Parts: sequence; C-alpha cells; structure tokens
Amino acid sequence: MRTLRRALRLRSARLSAVVLAVVAVAAVFGHWLAPLDPLAQDSAHVLSGPSAGHLLGTDGIGRDVLSRLVAGTSSSIVATLEAVGTALLVGIVLGIGSLWLGRGYEWASLRFVDSLQTLPYVVFVVAVVGVLGNGLTQAMLAIGLLYSPIFFRVSRAASLALLRAQYVEAAELFGASRLWILRTHLWSKILPTIAVTAAQASAECLLAVQSLSFLGIGVQPPAPTWGGMLADDLSFLAQQPWAPFIPALTIMITVGALNAIADAISDSADLPVVDSSPTQPGSVQEVPDAAVAVR
Amino acid sequence: MSAVVAVPRPGAAVAETRWLSGWARKVLRMLVTTATVFLITSFGTYALGALSKTNPAAAVLGETATPADITRMNHQFGLDRPLVVQYATWLGHAFTGDLGTSYFTSIPVAASIRQALPVDLGITGLAALFAVLIGGTAGIAAALNGGGRLDRSVTAVCSVLSTIPGFVMGIVLIVVFSATLRILPAGGYVSFGTDPVQWFRCLLMPSFALSLTLAAHVARQLRTSLVATLRENYVVGATVRGLSRRRVLLRHALRNALGPALGILTVGVPALLSGSVPTERIFNLPGVALLTLQSSERHDIPVIQGTLLVTVTTVLVCNLVLGALLARFTPQARR
Repeated sequence: MRTLRRALRLRSARLSAVVLAVVAVAAVFGHWLAPLDPLAQDSAHVLSGPSAGHLLGTDGIGRDVLSRLVAGTSSSIVATLEAVGTALLVGIVLGIGSLWLGRGYEWASLRFVDSLQTLPYVVFVVAVVGVLGNGLTQAMLAIGLLYSPIFFRVSRAASLALLRAQYVEAAELFGASRLWILRTHLWSKILPTIAVTAAQASAECLLAVQSLSFLGIGVQPPAPTWGGMLADDLSFLAQQPWAPFIPALTIMITVGALNAIADAISDSADLPVVDSSPTQPGSVQEVPDAAVAVR
Repeated sequence: MSAVVAVPRPGAAVAETRWLSGWARKVLRMLVTTATVFLITSFGTYALGALSKTNPAAAVLGETATPADITRMNHQFGLDRPLVVQYATWLGHAFTGDLGTSYFTSIPVAASIRQALPVDLGITGLAALFAVLIGGTAGIAAALNGGGRLDRSVTAVCSVLSTIPGFVMGIVLIVVFSATLRILPAGGYVSFGTDPVQWFRCLLMPSFALSLTLAAHVARQLRTSLVATLRENYVVGATVRGLSRRRVLLRHALRNALGPALGILTVGVPALLSGSVPTERIFNLPGVALLTLQSSERHDIPVIQGTLLVTVTTVLVCNLVLGALLARFTPQARR
C-alpha cells in the first residue's frame, strides 16, 4: 500500500491511473455510455468522417465508431483480466510449489514452464481454438497458460532469496508450517514484485487479445472489439486510411498507461530485476538448485 | 562435438581443452533439455487433438454417416487406439516426414507445410535480421550518446513501439506505401526462385512491420548492458591505454554486452512466429501461420497438429543454436 502511494506521487503514474480509470468506467458502463447502438447500421452515413451525429465517424457498414470503441472496451478488459488471472494463479501456485514439493516436482515444473515458453502464443491459441471451438474462455485460458511462466519465474526467484533468510529458518525451527511462513513472511514481500509483473503482463495480454480479436478469435464479430475494428477498417483503407488509427491509438494509450504504472511501482519499490526468459543451461540467469536441495 | 571432447588434440593448450569440453558439455545439457521440452510439447500438441469434442470421422463423413461407417473411419485414422500409442505412432511417422493427411482436402499435411514453410522462413528471417540491424544500431548509438538527446529519443521510440500491436505497423505501412505512394505491393507472395526482386518487394513491408517490436527490445537491452559495460574498469583502462574508440567498442565493450541482447532474441523467436499470424493475414502471405489459421477455422485437426509441431520445432532449433552461440561467445556463460 505504501509502495502504491509512493508510486502515485509520480506524475506519469497519476496520469496513467486517470487513463485506466476512464478505461475501467468505459468497461463497466460502456453499453450505457455509448451514444448510439454499436451494432446499428446507418446506411445513410457509410464511411463518413467525424460529424455532430457521429463524433468519430462511421465504419464501412455505417456503424458509429465512437460507440463501438466505448462498447468494445469491456470485452477487451474482461478478456485481459481473465488471461492475467489464469496466468497469476497457475504461475504462482506452480512457482511456489516448485520450492517446496521436492526435486522431482521442481524439475518437472521447470521443464513444463520451458515447454510453455517455446509456444508462440498466437499460433498456440489459434490451434487451441481450432480444436476446442472458438470462444473467449478457451482463448483466454490458453493465453493465461502461456503467460504463467512469467509469474512462475518471478514468484520463484523472489521467494528463493527470501526462503534462505535467517528469520524464515528460525520460524521453521520453531515448528511453523509452510503455509504460515508463506502467509506471514513471504506474501507481503513478494507482492510488489508480483504487482509489477501483473501490470506488465496485463499490457502484453491486452496486446495479445487485440491480435486475437483482429483475427476474429475470442470475442467474435459483430460484437465490437478494438482489434475487430482494426480488421474491419482494413477493407476500407483506400477510402478511409485514417480509420485504423482510432482503435490503434486507444490500444496504445491503454497499454502505455499499464506500462507506466508498472514502471512507477517498480521504481518506487526498488525491486530487483528478475529475468523471466527460458532456462538456458550454463547461462547466468539459471536459478541455483542448491538452495532447494538443502531443504 | 563429443568427439572433440573425448580425443583432445595433441599439443592443444590445457586451458583450451578444458574450455572446449566445458562448452560441449553445456551444449549436451542443452540438447537434453531441448529433447525433454520437445517431448512435452509434441505430446501436448497431439493430446490437444484428442481433447476435441468433434469426432473427425463424423465431421468428414457428414450427417448421413451410419455408426458403422464412423467406426470404420475411426479405425482407418487409428483413433480407436490408446492415446500414448497414437502419439508414438504419430511422432514416429512425423520423423519420417509423414504428418498424416488433412481431414478436408486429403492433401498430405507435410506437403502443405513444405510448400508454406519458405514464406515463414523468409519473413521471420528478414524480420530477425532487421531487428538485429535496427535494434543493434539504435542501442549502440543510444549507449554511446548516454543521457543525450539521441539516447532519450531512442528510449522514447522504444517505449512507444512496445505499446503497438505488431500488426498495426503493417496496416500503417500499407496505408503509406501501398494505398498512398503505391510503390510496394499490399500483399501476395512470389517465391524467391521465381523472381528474387519481387520476392523481396513482397516481404519487405511484412518483415519490417514484424521486426519493430523485437528491434525495440533489442535496442533497449543492448543500451542497458552496453552502458553498464562502458563503465567497467577494463573499458576505462583500454581507453586510457590509448586504444581507439572504435576498437574499445568492438573488441572490448560490445562483446561483453552482447549476451543479454542475444538472450532477448531467444524470447524473440516465438514472438516473431506469433506476430507472423496477423501479419500473414494482413499481407495475404501463404505461410504456415496462415495455414494454421485457416485450418483452425475449419477444425482440421491433423493440419493444426502438424503446423504446431513444426512451429515448436523451429523455436527449439533456433533456441538451441542461439544458446550454443551464447555459451560460445559470451564470457559470463563460458565459465
């Protein structure tokens, strides 16, 4: 909490917080805030520029761009939250488990995470959706699974150092249970690291979600999504070359705000940098197994 | 590699022999990890197909199929055997270049992939090249300019680039170079063998658009590590000894700062392949990524499994090569 307050003293962080608040309001109340029906086609105004009736103009089949933008916020945000939530849960449970459940489990979980990191996420999600059927839940669970290695490595690396601390050892000698140690000693200390990672992962997931909705995966047309709007605009580039910039700018501002928040938290909490790239045997980033072997 | 380890060259310096064997051992360990990861991902790929709710036989035969027809078809596809047996057979066939046939077109999967793969190799290869060239130049320039205007603008451009989905850059390029200036084709593909110039014209925009996100990562990483290296005592020492700025940079600093930037490329390969799906859709390039997308829309499971296997293998091979290079050329990893 203190870290968060300190982070909000930065101007960039306050600005980003305002942007994210606007996005959150649009996500929750989007369907009421949208000036017009995002699906209604106004055949009299196809591909019109900004006007009093349509503040950001209309798209190729006469739908109001501003309304689609506002109404499309909620699906982008819900999708991102689903993906990041899955990644958080899977990554942290596997990551902290890898420190406590013995070497066999540790080895297996490290190889499992390595395997996940070899999968290009769009290709994988496209494949999953091809097999299991197109839907937001399947797509987001698949993305969440692929982003879990980041949380796995971060929570594992952050806890590994803490578990070696003397006060943890002392608590163990006093007979404290692992869950108690996790709750009392570990959790509050790895939380800022995880918050930063979550903010960064949300930014990346938001981009991934836009790539997928651009391809018509997850939320399907005609439901409005930012990525879907880009896909629709692609057919009318010759008539309206500026149209894709509206959803693209919206995406950029939201992602930029998430990145800025992540930077602000990490600067004010003074966190160590944790490498989340795949295990390269022999390279410096490999986490030593010795600490775990002792216990 | 292992032959070199077992029989050290007579007369070779002792230190060199030990270093060689150390590197070979590392590569060997990488090979074991890679093989394990390959087994896990390929099994996952195959098992994914088994999770499917649609019965392929029923899907192919249509609504008029009798249960007997479906059973016969299942047997023909080998779908009535245990999953592990099916997987082993599938993988065994895959090694001989047989990935089964499409449920819908009856074209062998391997043939479709062989036809599509050069497209992906072209755009991802060019994109990696652009990323290294652009990111490398920008990163080095920014580090040498430490804190100056150039440094700050490179950092700013990198931050902006990391907020754009890669495919948006593709759209921007089409708007500028195809729709407005009309100097480059907005899509399509001509094979290198047919017309190298046209091939390059077709791939220029997609691979450039694909490379920018990675280039930003490379630039940022190289800048950070180079700034740190330039502050090291041996670099200061080399400058004091009167070595030229160029020599200090190339021979002393860059070599040591390269490790982390190469590390980024390891993560970059899956990112490039990932980005190639929307890129191939936008530029209408008939590559493996587009094949995956099209077969995903048709629920054509053998093709999906085949393309996923090829994609994962590509990533693993690239990571192995990059890892071996990393262990060979960066002093931190050599120890």
